[in-house]
Order: sequence, then C-alpha cells, then structure tokens
Amino acid sequence: MSTSPSLYVDRDTAIHRLTPRAKLALVSGLFVASYVFEHPLAVAVPLVTSFVALVWVGGWANFRRLRVIVVALFVVGLVVWPLFTPPGGPVVLSTPVLDVTRQQFLVALGRSERIAAFIVGGLLFVTTTSNEEIVSGLRSLGVPYAFCFAVGTALRLFPTLLGATGTVKQAQQARGHDLDAGSPVERIRNYVPLLIPVFMTAIRNVQTQSMALEARGFDTRGERTFYGQRTFGAADWVVAAFGLALVVGSVVLRYVVGVGTV
Amino acid sequence: MREIFTMWRDTRMIMLVAVVAAVYAAVLLPFKLFTIIPGITSVRPANVFPVIFSIMFGPAAAWGAAIGNLIGDIFGGTLGPGSIFGFLGNFFFGFVGYKLWGNLGPLSSGDEPDMRSGMQIVEYLAIAVASSAVCAAIIAWGVDLLGLVPFTVLGPTIMINNTLAAAVLGPPLLYLTYPRIKEMGLLYPEVMESGDLSAFGFAQPTVAGFGFLVVSLVWLALGTYALPPGSTGQMVLGAVGFVLMVVFGVIGSQGLPAVMDRTGIH
Repeated sequence: MSTSPSLYVDRDTAIHRLTPRAKLALVSGLFVASYVFEHPLAVAVPLVTSFVALVWVGGWANFRRLRVIVVALFVVGLVVWPLFTPPGGPVVLSTPVLDVTRQQFLVALGRSERIAAFIVGGLLFVTTTSNEEIVSGLRSLGVPYAFCFAVGTALRLFPTLLGATGTVKQAQQARGHDLDAGSPVERIRNYVPLLIPVFMTAIRNVQTQSMALEARGFDTRGERTFYGQRTFGAADWVVAAFGLALVVGSVVLRYVVGVGTV
Repeated sequence: MREIFTMWRDTRMIMLVAVVAAVYAAVLLPFKLFTIIPGITSVRPANVFPVIFSIMFGPAAAWGAAIGNLIGDIFGGTLGPGSIFGFLGNFFFGFVGYKLWGNLGPLSSGDEPDMRSGMQIVEYLAIAVASSAVCAAIIAWGVDLLGLVPFTVLGPTIMINNTLAAAVLGPPLLYLTYPRIKEMGLLYPEVMESGDLSAFGFAQPTVAGFGFLVVSLVWLALGTYALPPGSTGQMVLGAVGFVLMVVFGVIGSQGLPAVMDRTGIH
C-alpha cells in the first residue's frame, strides 16, 4: 500500500495556480469535446491535448499508475462497441464471431478514445487540485457548507482508514486467515473478519468527534471561510472562457458544421 | 424524503456521512475479489456497506455512499463525467435500504434488522436485490448515455457485483454489528429528531417499497434485453425509471422507527 494514496502532484505550473472552478471549466470543455465527436481523429484532439497537459503538470507517474485500467477500458471498448453498432462500409477485420466493418471499427475506436480522454482529463484535474482545493472549489460553486464539510472530513479520514484496512488485513493474515481459500461464496465470506474491525473502529469515533465539533461551536448554517482560498483572477477568467469556447465550438463543429461524424 | 435534507442539521449525522464515505472508499479500493470486466467492474466486498449502512444509518448512508464512490474515483484516478452517475447510483444504493426495511408488506419481518430470524434474512435479501438493481440501472443508463459502455454490458455486471457482495456479506455483518451500533445509540431513528424523519401526509410506504423493487428490475431487464444501447428508447426508459425512483423516494417512508416504536425500544 502506498503511503500517500493521493494523486495530487505539488508543482507550481500555470494549471496548478488556477482556481478549482477554472480547472473544472477547462476539463469540462475537454470532456464535452471528447463527448460530442464520434470520429477517432476528432476525439484524438481533446485526448492528446489532455495527455500533453497531464505530462506537463507532472502527472506522468499518475498515468503510469493507471495505465492498466486505461488499456483495459480501451480494449473492452474496442471489443464491445462493434457488437452494438450497425455495419457499414467494407469489412476491415474478419473474426469467427463477427465481421467488423469500417464504420463499426471507427465507432469503437472513437468510443475507446472517449473513455481514455475522460480518464486523462479527470486525472489532469486531480493531479493539479489538492483535496482542500476540491472542497473549497465545491463551496465556491454554491454547494452547501455541511456537504463540503462532510466531503472534506471524509477525504481526511480516507488515508487513515486505508492504512487501518491494510493493517487489519496483515494482522488477520498473520493469524492464518486465508482470503483466497474456498469456493467463490466462501471467498466473499472470508472478508467478514476484515470488514468488522475497520468498520467498528471508524464508527466508534463518531460520538466523540461530534462532541468535539459541537464543543467548538460547529454550525453548518453560518458562512465559512477557507484557509488558502483564492480569488478568481484574470488567468482564471481566460481559462474559464477558453473552456466555454471549447464547449460551444465543439457543439457548433459537430452539430452545425458536421465535423467529427462517422 | 425530507430526511435527506433535514439530516444535515445534526452533527452526528454529518459525521456519519463522512465516516460512511471514508469507510466505503477505504475498503472499495484495495479489496477486489473477482474481475468481471477488466477496468470496469469487479466483485468488491465493500459493496455490502451501502446496504447495511442504509438500514442502520438511514440518509447518512445515502450521502455517504455517494461521496465514498466519488472519493474512490478521485483517488482511483477515474474521476470524469461518469462520476456524476456513479454519485447518483450510489446515492440510491444507500437510499433504498432504509426506505424498504419494514415496508415490504408480506416480505417484511416486522423486526429490527439483527438477522436473528429467517424472515429477516428474506427481507434483507429483497432489499439487497432492490438496492443493487436501482444502482445498476442508474449507472448503466448514465454510462450508456455518455457512450462509454453499453447498458447491456454494464447493467447486469453491476447488478451481479453488488448483489453478490451485499447478499453474502450483509446478514453476518448485520448479525454482528447491529446490536453494537444500537448500543452506541447511532441508529438513525435515535440520532435524528422524529420531526425530521416524519413522512409526507400522502406517503404510501408499501407501494414505494415494492415500486423500488419491481421498477428497478423491470428497468434493468428492458435496458438489457429490449433496447439497443445509445437509442432514444434507452434514454427515455432511463429518464422515466429515474423519475419513478424519485417519486418512490418521496412517497416512501422509513420503516425502522415504526418497528422500534412497536417493540417499545424507541
């Protein structure tokens, strides 16, 4: 288990310096551009852009960590989508199960690229945005404070509980508990001795943590401030406008001009 | 359904949301039993938590499961447009349980969920199936809308994944933990004010209970076998199914407070 499960990379790049709202506008633009187009060449533009930006902000290690998932999803998309796409054009691949036509292949490739673009875009956001910024960003988007508090507390508790989960697993295995023994149902049941200590340890603290909060005057209704809250500066406006332009431009190109269809 | 909003007035419920989210995410990421579709879904033991937490912690489990799944996406590197539907699906995964316990007519045991009788296990299994089906239908619909994975592929896999973990692990976990949680005074009918839990005057809890169970299964079956992925029919079916889920949420009410009142505990 890694000591830090966070994917945030602490660097001082132009994207890191943006407010979470501006970053969200940027990745939303990339998501929409990946979504509206069908043709692999068109979807490749936001995919490559996101990937280059990810590498530039120091997210290569994060991508390497997730490469198996990205490749698996890409391959699953390539295999599954031809089965659900109407045939069209010449056969480009003949298999014992299905003859894949040009249209089926292009749609499947486009969909696989879309999945990859979504993952890389999301990775760009979490690589450049710390947990604290995610929470303050939610608040600045108008999400109620109580919800933001719960998200922030959960984000802080998560690494602790992840560590506890690893410790419990090792402790039970040291006592001879074999998670992989038995039939599939028995293998699921083997998790009972692992789940109970993790769950009860966390729940036991709820009462004391609640009392500690209330003793400090915790009130979800008042307006709260955040340490390190950033104002929406000129660069943020430019990036937000760029994100919006990406959304509008992609929609116009796809549905008015007819670019990026298969 | 008002308890979904009124619960945010109580500090202990807010802390329960945070703890449920953190526990769900912390067990979700490292433990994986069998991979069903590589990179997309696996049987994960953590999928028992939204169901049993829902029965014990009520609305805190709904929000906690939704936030926990989001944290899983953030730390797992899969944050994206699909996370919106993951949030909604997991919200309902943790929402259905407390709405159904005690409200399933002949399937209800009329007891607290301490898993001491066969009837309680039957009631729990019905809840595990309904919760899993609602979650599977919402996520599969959303991911199909986004053009990522067809409903036909994802709907049944999430259904199997969630049901297996919840059905196998739920009864022993509730058997062992419910009495302790009750002793701690953390069951939602004890934490929340009764006024915050009150149902609307037009509430039809049993209709809502069976509505969740039947509509989610029909939605899943039609989405999987009757409609092609990405079609208008699939989109409309999902929209109608989702609206019905919200309607059942509004006309439903939580059964555990009534069970506890009847047994003179609450």
